Amino acid sequence: MDWYAILEFSRGPMFYTALLVFMAGMTYRLFSTILLGWQADRVPNRGSKLRGVAVSYLKGFGIWPFFPWVKGTLSRNPVTYLAGGLFHLGLFVVIFLGTAHMLVWKSLLGFGWPTLALPIIDWLSAVTIVAMIALAINRRINPVLRLISGPAEWTNLIIVFLPMITGYMTTHHLWFRYETLFSLHMLSINLMLIWIPFSRISHFMFYFFSRTFHGAQAGKRAVAP
Amino acid sequence: MAEETIYQRLRRQGMSRRQFLKTCGVLAGVMGLQYAAPVVASGLPERLARTPGPARIVARALASKPRVPVLWMNFQDCTGCTEALTRSLSPALTDLVTNAITVEYHETLSAAAGVQAEENKQAMMKQYAGQYLLVVEGSIPTAADGVYCTIGGRTAVDLLQEAAAGAAAVIATGNCAAFGGIPMASPNPTGAKAAYELITDKPVAHIAGCPAIPEAFTGTLVHFITFGALPELDSLHRPLTFYGQTVHDRCLRRPFYDAGRFAESFDDEGARKGWCLYKLGCKGPTTYNACAGLKWGGGLSFPIQSGHPCLGCSEPNFWDRGGFYQGQSAPVGRPTITAAGAALGAGAVLGVAVALADLAQRKAIG
Repeated sequence: MDWYAILEFSRGPMFYTALLVFMAGMTYRLFSTILLGWQADRVPNRGSKLRGVAVSYLKGFGIWPFFPWVKGTLSRNPVTYLAGGLFHLGLFVVIFLGTAHMLVWKSLLGFGWPTLALPIIDWLSAVTIVAMIALAINRRINPVLRLISGPAEWTNLIIVFLPMITGYMTTHHLWFRYETLFSLHMLSINLMLIWIPFSRISHFMFYFFSRTFHGAQAGKRAVAP
Repeated sequence: MAEETIYQRLRRQGMSRRQFLKTCGVLAGVMGLQYAAPVVASGLPERLARTPGPARIVARALASKPRVPVLWMNFQDCTGCTEALTRSLSPALTDLVTNAITVEYHETLSAAAGVQAEENKQAMMKQYAGQYLLVVEGSIPTAADGVYCTIGGRTAVDLLQEAAAGAAAVIATGNCAAFGGIPMASPNPTGAKAAYELITDKPVAHIAGCPAIPEAFTGTLVHFITFGALPELDSLHRPLTFYGQTVHDRCLRRPFYDAGRFAESFDDEGARKGWCLYKLGCKGPTTYNACAGLKWGGGLSFPIQSGHPCLGCSEPNFWDRGGFYQGQSAPVGRPTITAAGAALGAGAVLGVAVALADLAQRKAIG
Protein backbone atom coordinates (compact mmCIF):
# COMPACT_ATOMS: atom_id res chain seq x y z
CA MET A 1 0.00 0.00 0.00
CA ASP A 2 1.25 3.47 -0.86
CA TRP A 3 1.29 5.15 2.53
CA TYR A 4 2.88 8.26 1.10
CA ALA A 5 -0.16 8.88 -1.07
CA ILE A 6 -2.44 8.18 1.88
CA LEU A 7 -0.43 10.54 4.06
CA GLU A 8 -0.51 13.27 1.46
CA PHE A 9 -4.27 12.85 1.09
CA SER A 10 -4.99 12.66 4.81
CA ARG A 11 -2.98 15.74 5.74
CA GLY A 12 -4.03 17.60 2.59
CA PRO A 13 -7.49 17.54 0.96
CA MET A 14 -9.02 15.15 3.49
CA PHE A 15 -7.85 17.23 6.45
CA TYR A 16 -9.28 20.46 5.24
CA THR A 17 -12.49 18.84 4.08
CA ALA A 18 -12.85 17.39 7.57
CA LEU A 19 -12.08 20.81 9.02
CA LEU A 20 -14.80 22.44 6.89
CA VAL A 21 -17.31 19.75 7.85
CA PHE A 22 -16.38 20.35 11.48
CA MET A 23 -16.83 24.12 11.18
CA ALA A 24 -20.11 23.87 9.30
CA GLY A 25 -21.37 21.17 11.67
CA MET A 26 -20.54 23.13 14.81
CA THR A 27 -22.18 26.35 13.56
CA TYR A 28 -25.22 24.31 12.57
CA ARG A 29 -25.41 22.81 16.07
CA LEU A 30 -24.92 26.17 17.76
CA PHE A 31 -27.57 28.00 15.73
CA SER A 32 -30.17 25.25 15.82
CA THR A 33 -29.67 24.77 19.58
CA ILE A 34 -29.91 28.47 20.43
CA LEU A 35 -33.04 28.94 18.35
CA LEU A 36 -34.79 25.79 19.56
CA GLY A 37 -34.67 26.47 23.27
CA TRP A 38 -35.02 30.22 23.39
CA GLN A 39 -38.09 31.03 25.44
CA ALA A 40 -38.84 34.05 27.58
CA ASP A 41 -37.81 33.61 31.23
CA ARG A 42 -40.48 35.45 33.22
CA VAL A 43 -38.89 34.92 36.64
CA PRO A 44 -38.17 38.26 38.36
CA ASN A 45 -34.47 38.89 38.94
CA ARG A 46 -33.78 38.25 42.64
CA GLY A 47 -30.02 37.85 42.52
CA SER A 48 -27.21 38.54 40.04
CA LYS A 49 -26.88 36.79 36.70
CA LEU A 50 -23.18 37.70 36.52
CA ARG A 51 -22.52 36.21 39.95
CA GLY A 52 -24.30 33.04 38.91
CA VAL A 53 -22.16 32.75 35.79
CA ALA A 54 -18.96 33.42 37.77
CA VAL A 55 -19.80 30.79 40.41
CA SER A 56 -20.77 28.34 37.71
CA TYR A 57 -17.38 28.67 35.97
CA LEU A 58 -15.48 28.70 39.25
CA LYS A 59 -17.05 25.39 40.21
CA GLY A 60 -16.61 24.05 36.70
CA PHE A 61 -12.90 24.75 36.59
CA GLY A 62 -12.18 24.59 40.32
CA ILE A 63 -13.65 21.26 41.38
CA TRP A 64 -10.98 19.59 39.33
CA PRO A 65 -8.30 19.71 40.69
CA PHE A 66 -8.73 22.25 43.52
CA PHE A 67 -11.97 21.51 45.39
CA PRO A 68 -12.64 17.75 45.12
CA TRP A 69 -15.03 17.86 48.10
CA VAL A 70 -17.48 20.32 46.49
CA LYS A 71 -20.67 18.46 45.47
CA GLY A 72 -18.91 15.27 46.72
CA THR A 73 -17.49 14.78 43.24
CA LEU A 74 -14.42 12.79 44.28
CA SER A 75 -16.08 10.61 46.89
CA ARG A 76 -19.07 9.77 44.68
CA ASN A 77 -17.22 9.18 41.42
CA PRO A 78 -13.53 8.62 42.18
CA VAL A 79 -12.66 7.06 38.79
CA THR A 80 -14.54 9.68 36.82
CA TYR A 81 -12.96 12.42 38.91
CA LEU A 82 -9.36 11.20 38.65
CA ALA A 83 -9.25 9.56 35.22
CA GLY A 84 -11.72 11.98 33.66
CA GLY A 85 -9.81 14.98 34.97
CA LEU A 86 -6.42 13.68 33.93
CA PHE A 87 -7.78 12.76 30.52
CA HIS A 88 -9.05 16.30 29.88
CA LEU A 89 -5.89 17.91 31.21
CA GLY A 90 -3.64 15.66 29.13
CA LEU A 91 -5.74 16.16 26.03
CA PHE A 92 -5.61 19.96 26.23
CA VAL A 93 -1.92 20.16 27.07
CA VAL A 94 -1.01 17.76 24.25
CA ILE A 95 -3.21 19.52 21.70
CA PHE A 96 -2.07 23.05 22.50
CA LEU A 97 1.40 22.70 23.98
CA GLY A 98 2.83 19.81 21.97
CA THR A 99 5.33 21.12 19.43
CA ALA A 100 3.96 19.14 16.50
CA HIS A 101 0.40 20.28 17.28
CA MET A 102 1.38 23.90 17.77
CA LEU A 103 2.81 23.82 14.24
CA VAL A 104 -0.62 22.75 12.96
CA TRP A 105 -2.26 25.69 14.75
CA LYS A 106 0.48 27.95 13.42
CA SER A 107 -0.18 26.87 9.85
CA LEU A 108 -3.91 27.44 10.31
CA LEU A 109 -3.87 30.64 12.39
CA GLY A 110 -0.65 32.22 11.22
CA PHE A 111 0.99 32.52 14.64
CA GLY A 112 2.61 30.13 17.10
CA TRP A 113 3.52 29.97 20.79
CA PRO A 114 6.11 28.35 23.05
CA THR A 115 5.63 24.64 23.68
CA LEU A 116 6.55 22.12 26.36
CA ALA A 117 9.47 19.69 26.12
CA LEU A 118 8.70 16.41 24.40
CA PRO A 119 9.22 14.19 27.50
CA ILE A 120 6.54 16.14 29.40
CA ILE A 121 4.08 15.85 26.51
CA ASP A 122 5.03 12.22 26.14
CA TRP A 123 4.29 11.32 29.76
CA LEU A 124 1.08 13.30 29.72
CA SER A 125 -0.14 11.49 26.63
CA ALA A 126 0.72 8.16 28.25
CA VAL A 127 -1.29 9.24 31.32
CA THR A 128 -4.15 10.31 29.05
CA ILE A 129 -4.19 6.94 27.30
CA VAL A 130 -4.19 5.06 30.61
CA ALA A 131 -6.95 7.36 31.88
CA MET A 132 -9.05 6.61 28.80
CA ILE A 133 -8.64 2.88 29.34
CA ALA A 134 -9.61 3.31 32.99
CA LEU A 135 -12.69 5.30 31.95
CA ALA A 136 -13.67 2.61 29.46
CA ILE A 137 -13.35 -0.13 32.09
CA ASN A 138 -15.30 1.99 34.56
CA ARG A 139 -18.02 2.53 31.98
CA ARG A 140 -18.19 -1.22 31.51
CA ILE A 141 -18.32 -2.25 35.18
CA ASN A 142 -20.15 0.62 36.88
CA PRO A 143 -23.83 -0.43 36.90
CA VAL A 144 -25.18 3.11 36.48
CA LEU A 145 -22.78 4.00 33.69
CA ARG A 146 -23.56 0.71 31.98
CA LEU A 147 -27.24 1.58 31.91
CA ILE A 148 -26.66 4.95 30.28
CA SER A 149 -23.98 3.80 27.80
CA GLY A 150 -25.20 3.06 24.31
CA PRO A 151 -23.36 2.62 21.01
CA ALA A 152 -22.92 6.40 20.73
CA GLU A 153 -20.94 6.58 23.99
CA TRP A 154 -18.65 3.72 23.01
CA THR A 155 -18.13 5.18 19.56
CA ASN A 156 -17.17 8.53 21.11
CA LEU A 157 -14.66 6.84 23.35
CA ILE A 158 -13.08 4.94 20.47
CA ILE A 159 -13.01 7.94 18.15
CA VAL A 160 -11.11 10.02 20.72
CA PHE A 161 -8.91 7.08 21.69
CA LEU A 162 -7.66 6.44 18.15
CA PRO A 163 -5.89 9.80 17.63
CA MET A 164 -4.35 9.49 21.11
CA ILE A 165 -2.92 6.03 20.60
CA THR A 166 -1.76 6.63 17.00
CA GLY A 167 -0.16 9.90 18.06
CA TYR A 168 1.72 8.16 20.84
CA MET A 169 2.82 5.43 18.44
CA THR A 170 3.98 8.02 15.91
CA THR A 171 6.19 9.74 18.46
CA HIS A 172 7.75 6.45 19.46
CA HIS A 173 7.92 4.89 15.98
CA LEU A 174 6.14 1.82 17.33
CA TRP A 175 5.68 -1.27 15.12
CA PHE A 176 5.07 0.54 11.83
CA ARG A 177 6.97 3.00 9.71
CA TYR A 178 6.65 6.67 10.53
CA GLU A 179 4.62 7.57 7.42
CA THR A 180 2.17 4.74 8.14
CA LEU A 181 1.65 5.87 11.73
CA PHE A 182 1.46 9.51 10.71
CA SER A 183 -1.21 8.58 8.12
CA LEU A 184 -3.21 6.59 10.68
CA HIS A 185 -2.98 9.52 13.10
CA MET A 186 -4.22 11.97 10.46
CA LEU A 187 -6.99 9.61 9.31
CA SER A 188 -8.23 9.17 12.87
CA ILE A 189 -8.14 12.93 13.45
CA ASN A 190 -10.10 13.57 10.27
CA LEU A 191 -12.65 10.98 11.35
CA MET A 192 -12.89 12.69 14.76
CA LEU A 193 -13.30 16.15 13.23
CA ILE A 194 -16.18 14.94 11.09
CA TRP A 195 -17.74 13.00 13.97
CA ILE A 196 -17.55 15.73 16.66
CA PRO A 197 -20.47 17.95 15.53
CA PHE A 198 -22.81 14.97 15.38
CA SER A 199 -21.85 13.55 18.75
CA ARG A 200 -21.62 14.55 22.38
CA ILE A 201 -17.94 15.36 21.95
CA SER A 202 -19.38 18.71 20.89
CA HIS A 203 -19.60 19.36 24.65
CA PHE A 204 -16.24 21.13 24.27
CA MET A 205 -18.34 24.02 22.88
CA PHE A 206 -21.68 23.43 24.59
CA TYR A 207 -19.93 23.15 27.94
CA PHE A 208 -19.31 26.89 27.88
CA PHE A 209 -22.72 27.48 26.42
CA SER A 210 -24.55 25.63 29.17
CA ARG A 211 -22.26 26.88 31.98
CA THR A 212 -23.10 30.44 30.99
CA PHE A 213 -26.79 29.77 30.45
CA HIS A 214 -27.48 27.75 33.57
CA GLY A 215 -25.19 29.95 35.65
CA ALA A 216 -27.18 33.01 34.63
CA GLN A 217 -30.51 31.28 35.30
CA ALA A 218 -29.41 30.15 38.74
CA GLY A 219 -27.94 33.56 39.52
CA LYS A 220 -31.21 35.22 38.60
CA ARG A 221 -33.01 32.97 41.07
CA ALA A 222 -30.32 33.56 43.73
CA VAL A 223 -29.49 29.86 44.08
CA ALA A 224 -26.13 28.12 43.82
CA PRO A 225 -25.58 26.73 40.30
CA MET B 1 40.02 -15.84 -25.09
CA ALA B 2 37.89 -15.45 -22.01
CA GLU B 3 36.80 -11.91 -21.34
CA GLU B 4 39.05 -9.87 -19.10
CA THR B 5 37.84 -9.78 -15.49
CA ILE B 6 37.52 -6.59 -13.49
CA TYR B 7 40.52 -7.60 -11.37
CA GLN B 8 42.67 -8.25 -14.43
CA ARG B 9 41.66 -4.95 -15.88
CA LEU B 10 42.51 -3.08 -12.67
CA ARG B 11 45.87 -4.87 -12.43
CA ARG B 12 46.63 -3.91 -16.02
CA GLN B 13 45.90 -0.31 -15.08
CA GLY B 14 48.49 -0.51 -12.33
CA MET B 15 46.51 -1.37 -9.23
CA SER B 16 48.38 -3.62 -6.82
CA ARG B 17 46.80 -6.67 -5.24
CA ARG B 18 46.91 -4.97 -1.84
CA GLN B 19 45.17 -1.87 -3.21
CA PHE B 20 42.59 -4.11 -4.83
CA LEU B 21 41.79 -5.91 -1.59
CA LYS B 22 41.56 -2.61 0.26
CA THR B 23 39.15 -1.33 -2.35
CA CYS B 24 37.08 -4.48 -1.98
CA GLY B 25 36.94 -3.87 1.77
CA VAL B 26 35.72 -0.32 1.23
CA LEU B 27 33.12 -1.52 -1.25
CA ALA B 28 31.89 -4.23 1.10
CA GLY B 29 31.60 -1.59 3.78
CA VAL B 30 29.70 0.77 1.53
CA MET B 31 27.26 -1.99 0.64
CA GLY B 32 26.75 -2.79 4.30
CA LEU B 33 27.58 -6.34 3.34
CA GLN B 34 28.13 -7.52 6.89
CA TYR B 35 24.38 -7.79 7.18
CA ALA B 36 23.53 -8.45 3.57
CA ALA B 37 21.43 -11.45 2.73
CA PRO B 38 24.11 -13.57 0.99
CA VAL B 39 26.34 -13.53 4.07
CA VAL B 40 23.68 -14.02 6.71
CA ALA B 41 21.63 -16.39 4.60
CA SER B 42 24.59 -18.72 4.11
CA GLY B 43 22.99 -20.80 6.85
CA LEU B 44 25.95 -20.44 9.19
CA PRO B 45 25.83 -18.66 12.52
CA GLU B 46 26.69 -15.01 12.12
CA ARG B 47 30.09 -15.55 13.75
CA LEU B 48 31.06 -18.19 11.21
CA ALA B 49 29.33 -16.56 8.28
CA ARG B 50 31.73 -13.70 8.64
CA THR B 51 34.77 -15.90 8.22
CA PRO B 52 34.99 -15.63 4.44
CA GLY B 53 34.77 -11.88 5.04
CA PRO B 54 32.59 -9.46 3.15
CA ALA B 55 35.69 -8.02 1.51
CA ARG B 56 36.59 -11.44 0.13
CA ILE B 57 33.11 -11.92 -1.27
CA VAL B 58 33.57 -8.73 -3.23
CA ALA B 59 37.15 -9.64 -4.18
CA ARG B 60 36.08 -13.04 -5.50
CA ALA B 61 33.33 -11.46 -7.54
CA LEU B 62 35.54 -8.79 -9.04
CA ALA B 63 38.28 -11.32 -9.77
CA SER B 64 35.97 -13.68 -11.60
CA LYS B 65 33.54 -11.45 -13.42
CA PRO B 66 33.96 -9.34 -16.52
CA ARG B 67 33.32 -5.64 -16.29
CA VAL B 68 29.73 -4.44 -16.41
CA PRO B 69 28.92 -2.08 -19.22
CA VAL B 70 26.75 0.84 -18.18
CA LEU B 71 24.47 2.83 -20.43
CA TRP B 72 23.76 6.17 -18.81
CA MET B 73 20.81 8.15 -20.15
CA ASN B 74 20.19 11.78 -19.20
CA PHE B 75 16.72 13.17 -19.73
CA GLN B 76 14.96 16.02 -17.88
CA ASP B 77 17.62 16.57 -15.26
CA CYS B 78 20.20 19.06 -14.07
CA THR B 79 23.07 16.50 -14.28
CA GLY B 80 23.47 17.05 -10.56
CA CYS B 81 23.62 13.32 -9.89
CA THR B 82 26.49 12.92 -12.36
CA GLU B 83 28.17 15.96 -10.84
CA ALA B 84 27.81 14.50 -7.36
CA LEU B 85 29.25 11.20 -8.51
CA THR B 86 32.27 12.69 -10.28
CA ARG B 87 32.96 14.95 -7.31
CA SER B 88 32.56 12.15 -4.80
CA LEU B 89 35.50 12.20 -2.42
CA SER B 90 35.77 8.43 -2.22
CA PRO B 91 38.64 7.72 -4.62
CA ALA B 92 38.15 3.98 -4.53
CA LEU B 93 34.59 4.29 -5.66
CA THR B 94 35.20 6.87 -8.32
CA ASP B 95 38.04 4.73 -9.63
CA LEU B 96 35.77 1.80 -9.81
CA VAL B 97 33.10 3.69 -11.65
CA THR B 98 35.43 5.19 -14.17
CA ASN B 99 37.68 2.18 -14.70
CA ALA B 100 36.18 -1.17 -13.79
CA ILE B 101 32.67 -0.35 -14.77
CA THR B 102 32.68 0.99 -18.23
CA VAL B 103 30.31 3.78 -18.79
CA GLU B 104 29.81 3.12 -22.47
CA TYR B 105 27.52 6.04 -23.10
CA HIS B 106 27.09 9.21 -21.11
CA GLU B 107 26.16 12.47 -22.77
CA THR B 108 28.00 14.66 -20.29
CA LEU B 109 31.14 12.61 -19.74
CA SER B 110 31.64 11.13 -23.18
CA ALA B 111 34.39 12.56 -25.37
CA ALA B 112 32.61 11.60 -28.54
CA ALA B 113 29.60 13.55 -29.70
CA GLY B 114 26.90 13.49 -32.34
CA VAL B 115 26.69 10.58 -34.77
CA GLN B 116 29.80 8.89 -33.38
CA ALA B 117 28.40 8.74 -29.86
CA GLU B 118 25.06 7.44 -31.11
CA GLU B 119 26.75 4.76 -33.21
CA ASN B 120 28.81 3.67 -30.26
CA LYS B 121 25.66 3.37 -28.17
CA GLN B 122 23.92 1.26 -30.80
CA ALA B 123 26.93 -1.03 -31.13
CA MET B 124 27.18 -1.40 -27.36
CA MET B 125 23.48 -2.21 -26.99
CA LYS B 126 23.81 -4.90 -29.62
CA GLN B 127 27.02 -6.39 -28.19
CA TYR B 128 25.88 -6.54 -24.57
CA ALA B 129 22.18 -7.15 -25.14
CA GLY B 130 20.58 -8.48 -21.96
CA GLN B 131 23.72 -7.81 -19.89
CA TYR B 132 24.21 -4.10 -19.51
CA LEU B 133 23.00 -1.92 -16.73
CA LEU B 134 20.84 1.03 -17.67
CA VAL B 135 21.19 4.12 -15.51
CA VAL B 136 18.49 6.75 -15.92
CA GLU B 137 19.00 10.30 -14.73
CA GLY B 138 16.11 12.72 -15.08
CA SER B 139 12.40 12.35 -15.67
CA ILE B 140 10.80 11.51 -18.99
CA PRO B 141 8.35 13.99 -20.56
CA THR B 142 5.31 12.43 -22.19
CA ALA B 143 3.13 15.46 -23.00
CA ALA B 144 2.79 16.52 -26.64
CA ASP B 145 4.25 13.19 -27.84
CA GLY B 146 7.37 13.72 -25.76
CA VAL B 147 8.74 16.68 -27.72
CA TYR B 148 10.00 18.41 -24.57
CA CYS B 149 13.13 16.28 -24.49
CA THR B 150 14.71 14.90 -27.64
CA ILE B 151 18.21 13.63 -28.29
CA GLY B 152 19.44 13.13 -31.85
CA GLY B 153 15.91 13.83 -33.06
CA ARG B 154 14.33 11.05 -30.97
CA THR B 155 12.13 11.51 -27.94
CA ALA B 156 13.16 10.51 -24.43
CA VAL B 157 10.31 7.96 -24.24
CA ASP B 158 11.54 6.30 -27.41
CA LEU B 159 15.18 6.27 -26.30
CA LEU B 160 14.35 4.94 -22.85
CA GLN B 161 12.22 2.10 -24.14
CA GLU B 162 14.89 1.13 -26.66
CA ALA B 163 17.61 1.16 -24.00
CA ALA B 164 15.50 -0.67 -21.42
CA ALA B 165 14.65 -3.48 -23.83
CA GLY B 166 18.18 -4.90 -23.69
CA ALA B 167 19.08 -4.01 -20.11
CA ALA B 168 19.63 -6.57 -17.36
CA ALA B 169 18.46 -4.09 -14.73
CA VAL B 170 17.74 -0.40 -14.39
CA ILE B 171 19.00 2.07 -11.82
CA ALA B 172 17.03 5.30 -11.68
CA THR B 173 19.33 7.80 -10.01
CA GLY B 174 18.08 10.99 -8.43
CA ASN B 175 14.56 12.02 -7.53
CA CYS B 176 13.69 12.98 -11.13
CA ALA B 177 14.28 9.53 -12.55
CA ALA B 178 12.97 7.73 -9.48
CA PHE B 179 9.83 9.73 -8.71
CA GLY B 180 9.57 12.49 -11.32
CA GLY B 181 11.29 15.10 -9.16
CA ILE B 182 11.12 18.79 -9.94
CA PRO B 183 10.05 18.41 -13.60
CA MET B 184 6.97 16.53 -12.38
CA ALA B 185 6.13 19.16 -9.75
CA SER B 186 2.77 20.86 -10.16
CA PRO B 187 1.62 21.88 -12.78
CA ASN B 188 3.94 19.42 -14.57
CA PRO B 189 3.86 21.19 -17.95
CA THR B 190 5.87 18.52 -19.76
CA GLY B 191 3.85 15.56 -18.47
CA ALA B 192 7.01 14.25 -16.81
CA LYS B 193 7.02 10.67 -15.58
CA ALA B 194 9.37 8.56 -13.49
CA ALA B 195 11.37 5.82 -15.21
CA TYR B 196 9.50 2.97 -13.51
CA GLU B 197 6.22 4.21 -14.96
CA LEU B 198 7.55 3.49 -18.45
CA ILE B 199 9.72 0.44 -17.71
CA THR B 200 7.51 -2.29 -16.36
CA ASP B 201 9.31 -5.47 -17.38
CA LYS B 202 12.76 -4.91 -15.79
CA PRO B 203 13.90 -4.64 -12.19
CA VAL B 204 14.29 -0.96 -11.31
CA ALA B 205 16.23 0.32 -8.29
CA HIS B 206 15.69 3.89 -7.14
CA ILE B 207 18.65 5.82 -5.80
CA ALA B 208 16.45 8.68 -4.69
CA GLY B 209 17.82 12.02 -3.59
CA CYS B 210 18.50 15.43 -5.03
CA PRO B 211 21.18 14.60 -5.94
CA ALA B 212 21.53 10.92 -5.14
CA ILE B 213 24.27 10.18 -2.61
CA PRO B 214 27.23 8.96 -4.72
CA GLU B 215 28.05 6.15 -2.27
CA ALA B 216 24.45 4.92 -2.40
CA PHE B 217 24.65 4.79 -6.18
CA THR B 218 28.05 3.12 -6.27
CA GLY B 219 27.10 0.69 -3.52
CA THR B 220 24.08 -0.45 -5.50
CA LEU B 221 26.19 -0.73 -8.64
CA VAL B 222 28.80 -2.84 -6.86
CA HIS B 223 26.08 -5.03 -5.45
CA PHE B 224 24.89 -5.67 -8.98
CA ILE B 225 28.41 -6.55 -10.08
CA THR B 226 29.10 -8.76 -7.08
CA PHE B 227 25.86 -10.68 -6.90
CA GLY B 228 24.50 -10.21 -10.40
CA ALA B 229 21.29 -8.71 -9.07
CA LEU B 230 19.96 -5.56 -7.50
CA PRO B 231 20.08 -5.38 -3.68
CA GLU B 232 17.05 -5.78 -1.44
CA LEU B 233 14.64 -2.90 -2.04
CA ASP B 234 11.96 -1.18 0.02
CA SER B 235 8.38 -0.56 -1.10
CA LEU B 236 9.54 2.43 -3.16
CA HIS B 237 12.30 0.36 -4.80
CA ARG B 238 15.11 1.99 -2.84
CA PRO B 239 17.99 -0.21 -1.61
CA LEU B 240 17.33 -0.96 2.06
CA THR B 241 21.01 -0.63 2.92
CA PHE B 242 20.87 3.09 2.21
CA TYR B 243 17.19 3.87 2.62
CA GLY B 244 16.33 1.59 5.52
CA GLN B 245 16.27 4.32 8.14
CA THR B 246 14.98 7.86 8.31
CA VAL B 247 17.30 10.85 8.40
CA HIS B 248 15.63 11.67 11.74
CA ASP B 249 16.62 8.33 13.27
CA ARG B 250 20.32 8.85 12.54
CA CYS B 251 20.41 12.62 12.92
CA LEU B 252 23.09 14.16 15.08
CA ARG B 253 20.51 16.69 16.29
CA ARG B 254 18.11 13.95 17.39
CA PRO B 255 18.90 14.27 21.13
CA PHE B 256 17.67 17.87 20.95
CA TYR B 257 14.42 16.70 19.37
CA ASP B 258 13.93 14.23 22.19
CA ALA B 259 14.73 16.90 24.76
CA GLY B 260 12.34 19.37 23.12
CA ARG B 261 15.09 21.86 22.26
CA PHE B 262 14.26 23.54 18.97
CA ALA B 263 15.75 26.34 16.90
CA GLU B 264 12.93 28.85 16.41
CA SER B 265 14.60 30.75 13.59
CA PHE B 266 17.77 30.46 11.54
CA ASP B 267 19.69 33.00 13.59
CA ASP B 268 18.52 32.51 17.16
CA GLU B 269 20.47 31.01 20.03
CA GLY B 270 18.99 27.57 19.41
CA ALA B 271 20.29 27.59 15.85
CA ARG B 272 23.74 28.62 17.04
CA LYS B 273 23.74 25.85 19.63
CA GLY B 274 22.84 23.27 17.00
CA TRP B 275 19.37 22.41 18.32
CA CYS B 276 16.76 20.47 16.37
CA LEU B 277 15.39 22.07 13.18
CA TYR B 278 11.95 20.42 13.39
CA LYS B 279 10.13 23.71 13.89
CA LEU B 280 11.91 25.19 10.89
CA GLY B 281 10.33 22.57 8.67
CA CYS B 282 12.75 19.64 8.84
CA LYS B 283 11.33 16.63 6.95
CA GLY B 284 13.79 14.18 8.54
CA PRO B 285 11.11 12.07 10.27
CA THR B 286 9.51 10.97 6.99
CA THR B 287 12.63 10.95 4.84
CA TYR B 288 14.44 7.69 4.22
CA ASN B 289 18.01 8.34 3.16
CA ALA B 290 21.60 7.77 4.26
CA CYS B 291 22.51 11.47 4.57
CA ALA B 292 22.91 11.41 8.33
CA GLY B 293 25.11 8.31 8.21
CA LEU B 294 27.21 8.53 5.03
CA LYS B 295 27.04 12.32 4.80
CA TRP B 296 28.48 14.30 1.90
CA GLY B 297 31.89 15.41 0.76
CA GLY B 298 33.65 12.34 2.10
CA GLY B 299 31.72 12.23 5.35
CA LEU B 300 32.28 15.91 6.07
CA SER B 301 28.74 17.17 6.62
CA PHE B 302 25.15 17.07 5.44
CA PRO B 303 22.43 19.71 5.24
CA ILE B 304 21.09 19.33 8.77
CA GLN B 305 24.59 19.39 10.22
CA SER B 306 25.32 22.65 8.44
CA GLY B 307 22.10 24.20 9.75
CA HIS B 308 19.43 23.62 7.14
CA PRO B 309 16.34 21.46 7.66
CA CYS B 310 15.92 18.34 5.54
CA LEU B 311 13.77 18.95 2.44
CA GLY B 312 12.83 15.30 2.09
CA CYS B 313 14.45 15.06 -1.37
CA SER B 314 14.52 11.26 -1.44
CA GLU B 315 10.74 11.01 -1.14
CA PRO B 316 8.13 11.14 -3.92
CA ASN B 317 6.61 14.57 -4.69
CA PHE B 318 8.84 16.31 -2.17
CA TRP B 319 8.44 19.52 -4.13
CA ASP B 320 4.67 19.66 -3.70
CA ARG B 321 4.31 18.58 -0.08
CA GLY B 322 3.70 21.89 1.62
CA GLY B 323 6.32 24.50 2.42
CA PHE B 324 9.94 23.54 2.98
CA TYR B 325 10.03 25.77 6.06
CA GLN B 326 6.63 24.77 7.38
CA GLY B 327 6.61 22.24 10.21
CA GLN B 328 6.44 18.60 9.24
CA SER B 329 3.23 18.04 11.19
CA ALA B 330 1.40 20.98 9.59
CA PRO B 331 -1.26 20.09 7.05
CA VAL B 332 -0.48 20.44 3.37
CA GLY B 333 -2.28 23.64 2.45
CA ARG B 334 -5.21 25.05 4.40
CA PRO B 335 -8.80 26.01 3.62
CA THR B 336 -9.10 29.49 2.16
CA ILE B 337 -10.91 32.20 4.12
CA THR B 338 -13.70 31.98 1.53
CA ALA B 339 -14.08 28.23 2.04
CA ALA B 340 -14.06 28.63 5.82
CA GLY B 341 -16.60 31.46 5.58
CA ALA B 342 -18.78 29.39 3.28
CA ALA B 343 -18.66 26.45 5.71
CA LEU B 344 -19.60 28.67 8.67
CA GLY B 345 -22.33 30.35 6.63
CA ALA B 346 -23.75 27.05 5.42
CA GLY B 347 -23.83 25.72 8.97
CA ALA B 348 -25.57 28.87 10.23
CA VAL B 349 -28.16 28.87 7.44
CA LEU B 350 -28.90 25.19 7.94
CA GLY B 351 -29.15 25.67 11.71
CA VAL B 352 -31.60 28.58 11.40
CA ALA B 353 -33.64 26.76 8.74
CA VAL B 354 -33.99 23.63 10.87
CA ALA B 355 -34.93 25.70 13.94
CA LEU B 356 -37.54 27.70 12.00
CA ALA B 357 -39.04 24.56 10.48
CA ASP B 358 -39.27 23.06 13.93
CA LEU B 359 -40.87 26.21 15.30
CA ALA B 360 -43.45 26.22 12.50
CA GLN B 361 -44.22 22.58 13.22
CA ARG B 362 -44.68 23.28 16.93
CA LYS B 363 -47.00 26.20 16.17
CA ALA B 364 -49.04 24.06 13.80
CA ILE B 365 -49.47 21.44 16.51
CA GLY B 366 -50.45 24.25 18.86
